[in-house]
Amino acid sequence: MKRILFATLLFACASANAQFDFGRALDLGKKVMQAQEGMKDLTQDEEIALGEQLTAGFLGASPLHPDANLQRYVNRVGKWLALHSGRPDLPWTFAVIDTETINAFAMPGGNVIISSGLLKRLSSESELAGVLAHEIAHVVKKHQVQAIQSAAKGDLAASIGKDLAGDAIARRGGGALAQGAKTWASGMAADLLKDGFFLRPLDRSMEYEADQLGVVIATRAGYDPYGLVGALEMLAQYKGGGDAASVFSTHPPAPDRLGELEKFLPTVERYSGQPQLEGRFKQVVGNAK
Amino acid sequence: MSRMTLRLATLFLGLFLASGAWAQEQAFTNRSTELKDIGSPSGKTLASLPGDTPVKVIARSGAWTKVEANGQHGYVNVFHLRFPATVEKSSSSSNPLSGITGFFGGGRDQPKTTIATTGIRGLSPEDLKNASPDPAALAKAQGYRSDKGSAERFAKDGKLATVSVDYSEGGRR
Repeated sequence: MKRILFATLLFACASANAQFDFGRALDLGKKVMQAQEGMKDLTQDEEIALGEQLTAGFLGASPLHPDANLQRYVNRVGKWLALHSGRPDLPWTFAVIDTETINAFAMPGGNVIISSGLLKRLSSESELAGVLAHEIAHVVKKHQVQAIQSAAKGDLAASIGKDLAGDAIARRGGGALAQGAKTWASGMAADLLKDGFFLRPLDRSMEYEADQLGVVIATRAGYDPYGLVGALEMLAQYKGGGDAASVFSTHPPAPDRLGELEKFLPTVERYSGQPQLEGRFKQVVGNAK
Repeated sequence: MSRMTLRLATLFLGLFLASGAWAQEQAFTNRSTELKDIGSPSGKTLASLPGDTPVKVIARSGAWTKVEANGQHGYVNVFHLRFPATVEKSSSSSNPLSGITGFFGGGRDQPKTTIATTGIRGLSPEDLKNASPDPAALAKAQGYRSDKGSAERFAKDGKLATVSVDYSEGGRR
């Protein structure tokens, strides 16, 4: 806590354009601390509300893919995987967005978004399972929540710290948790989207952890454990250009991830005969309109 | 479904499966490795491949990738390959299997829609930053959720069976 306050004061002192105002800096430091406190004890309901608001924001930027069969199919794969995760009872929602951008996103509380651009470049259901299980692992490990906490004390402090703090206070105001949580989540989601939070890569260690846990989840669900490896092989063939929303900008390079998985996969090698389900995948994805 | 419809559907699926899934991709071995006759460490070694040997990928399949190397078909460990990164060509495809089937239908050496390059027609940072929440789309997405029973039936159809794997098997807690 003291370090955060000190860092905030340092930030205020170092700001070239700002006239040093000790009182104001102290106030900002307190607000950042309040914001962190607000995230620290996030309840599951609040986490779900935040995830839903972020997903609504995402869907405001990119429409759902119009094919209902495709949406239901991805939800069945995702739900089956989620039942084998550490948080099977979350209200898991898997949304296919209609964009050529290649990426998938995990929101707090069990919301996962996958682009049709990524989906149509996969070869089998086990590859889809590998991708979805990676995102499920992020939710299970609350990586996004941790990243928001880090943002509150990091370089976003100046830009969103005051908003986070305000939201955190609003969340507690009045004692009406349900309505307070929704208002708080809505404000928080808007701030995070505006600040490009989901364009920022997560910590590499979180990505590697999600890769490994994702492989375990997919394997538990009966899929070939090499599905994610196949998806990464596919990604390894593409250069990440200037698309800041693509997987190439928000994830470590695919060859690096493959290198980490090579150390891990021998532990589940004996399950490599499990189904890949190419036919079912191609039938649904190929017929999507 | 009429017989004609069934034939057309079968023809479409056949074309779809044949066109892109087996498209050959260029790759290189990233270390000295062996070309096996089957996808298994116990398979017969058809050839020893030094590092940086060019191969054509015929199919991705689990731990082993089917390739053609020096005119021979066989299997190489999936981790023993590297892929030269490429940028897809920017063009709207005239392929009738474009759109959601473009990747499978187009093959890797044919024009495809732009991805992951500057100026993509996809999700831009500005799109995300300036988005207005769409609660109706969220509700629609939630309407596609699967319940436990539906997911279990779906898994059974695919012959997916739960296995017990502890996360600690990967050396993690």
